[in-house]
Amino acid sequence: MNGQLGPADEGGRIPALQQTRIAAFLLSAHGAQARRLAVTMPMQLHQPWHIELHAQYCREMEILSLLAHSTAWVFDPQLPLMTWQWEGAWLPRPMPGAADHFHGLLVDMAALGHAIHAGIRPAALLPDDAAPADPFVLAMRRIEFESGRLLQAQILFLKGPQLADARDYVAAAVEYRHEQVRELWQAMLKGLNVAAE
Amino acid sequence: MPWLASKSGKIHYELSGPENGPVCVLVNGLTQYVKLWMPFRDGLVARGFQVASYDMLGQGQSDKPHLFIEQDDQVEVLRELIASLGPRPVFVGGISFGGVIALRCAIEHPETITGLVPMSSFAEISPQLMRLGMAMRTALILGGTGYLQDLLFPMNFSSAWLDAKADIIGLATRRGWLINDVYALQNLMESFLDFEPLTSKLSSIRAPTMIMTGEFDFLTPRPLQDSLRAHIPNSALVIIPRAYHAFTLERADLAAYVMGRFAEDVLAGRFAGKQSVWIAPDEVGGELTPFPAGFDHLRSIPVRLPPPEGAEASSPLHETAAS
Repeated sequence: MNGQLGPADEGGRIPALQQTRIAAFLLSAHGAQARRLAVTMPMQLHQPWHIELHAQYCREMEILSLLAHSTAWVFDPQLPLMTWQWEGAWLPRPMPGAADHFHGLLVDMAALGHAIHAGIRPAALLPDDAAPADPFVLAMRRIEFESGRLLQAQILFLKGPQLADARDYVAAAVEYRHEQVRELWQAMLKGLNVAAE
Repeated sequence: MPWLASKSGKIHYELSGPENGPVCVLVNGLTQYVKLWMPFRDGLVARGFQVASYDMLGQGQSDKPHLFIEQDDQVEVLRELIASLGPRPVFVGGISFGGVIALRCAIEHPETITGLVPMSSFAEISPQLMRLGMAMRTALILGGTGYLQDLLFPMNFSSAWLDAKADIIGLATRRGWLINDVYALQNLMESFLDFEPLTSKLSSIRAPTMIMTGEFDFLTPRPLQDSLRAHIPNSALVIIPRAYHAFTLERADLAAYVMGRFAEDVLAGRFAGKQSVWIAPDEVGGELTPFPAGFDHLRSIPVRLPPPEGAEASSPLHETAAS
């Protein structure tokens, strides 16, 4: 089991199967987040947090487009089954203890966003000999960098005063989504003979 | 690889040196991790101490709580680690953020600490430090761990060191980026948002205390360290010449020598802090010298202190010329 992706080829490119599977995972996770943002966002933006939802949605869409266009896609017969498993995991989760159903879904969406943006670090897996100007390498770095920024909205919401009285349930929601994302991410990497902590 | 199962999570720590006898516990700064203590640790081990260094909650290989890290939890982790070392003399050295945790442990659990060494640390957040902290938090949020590290390098090290180590700074930055997570660093920084100044509690510290400060530290400047000296009864302030904030890295051998000598003096009953001010030697093996009497150790230019009450006042100009 390797600690990083690769080995890179002579041009510093990551093997196409690894690119395909990692990009598919990220497309699934960020795609799920984009869909939930789109559903949550009203047609007209009235509140300050609507503006943030819109910004998050646009950045998630940029990540999806970047993945679609920077990856050296190859046929991977295992992807359909994996994608079905991933998509099932990202489904909205009813939150026991939430003030109301909508509120619970918002917390769950933020918790999933926190887990995706904080817990997945694709650039940390790039080998030292990866070509710095390779599109996939650049995309991984950009996605990790942007995730650090996107994360701020989730942190502000989840740590905000409006949820101060619900700290235990919020922490449990975040813990659940982190564990779920970590398990799926590590299982996917294990299939590529890569170990990530 | 030893782990401490603390109440707040799994803590990664390392032990080096002889198993019996006095032990030095080292508490990290904000972006630090265990391996960065190695040269400092080796200096203490060479003097016969066992050294325990650990990643704080939210750092390195220790557990990283996803949303909240309380400083109370950090203090409790340090107490638990000290307790796990058994009944023997324990010297706690903490740098910067770690110094704050060490100070709090000495205040809240005085029975656990034989000697205390806050390094580049503080008990209150001055307006300058607050602004710097907020700027660092913004740097982390907008630019990620790499940008924060870029900002910290010139605060932590001298130009001479940065020039000499130019070839390894990229590698060090990458290691720091790999081992640190944005959300965890942010949690650590945000644990200062409701920081209560410790100044009023410093007088309760009974452990002999040696405060170490870099001559040119502008992240936590000397007045912050001096406040510790002025309020901790059995303390001394030691200035590390030509050092910046992270002298445990840049002058690791010298800093370990000074801490080791302090611990030996405490164990031998020789240490008498008397809230005095000292200058460390330039090299390992040298003697500490008292800060020149009558001069203000908080200034960068030689300024005489006001004469003691009752003494005949003399012309300030004459004093400056005479010095």
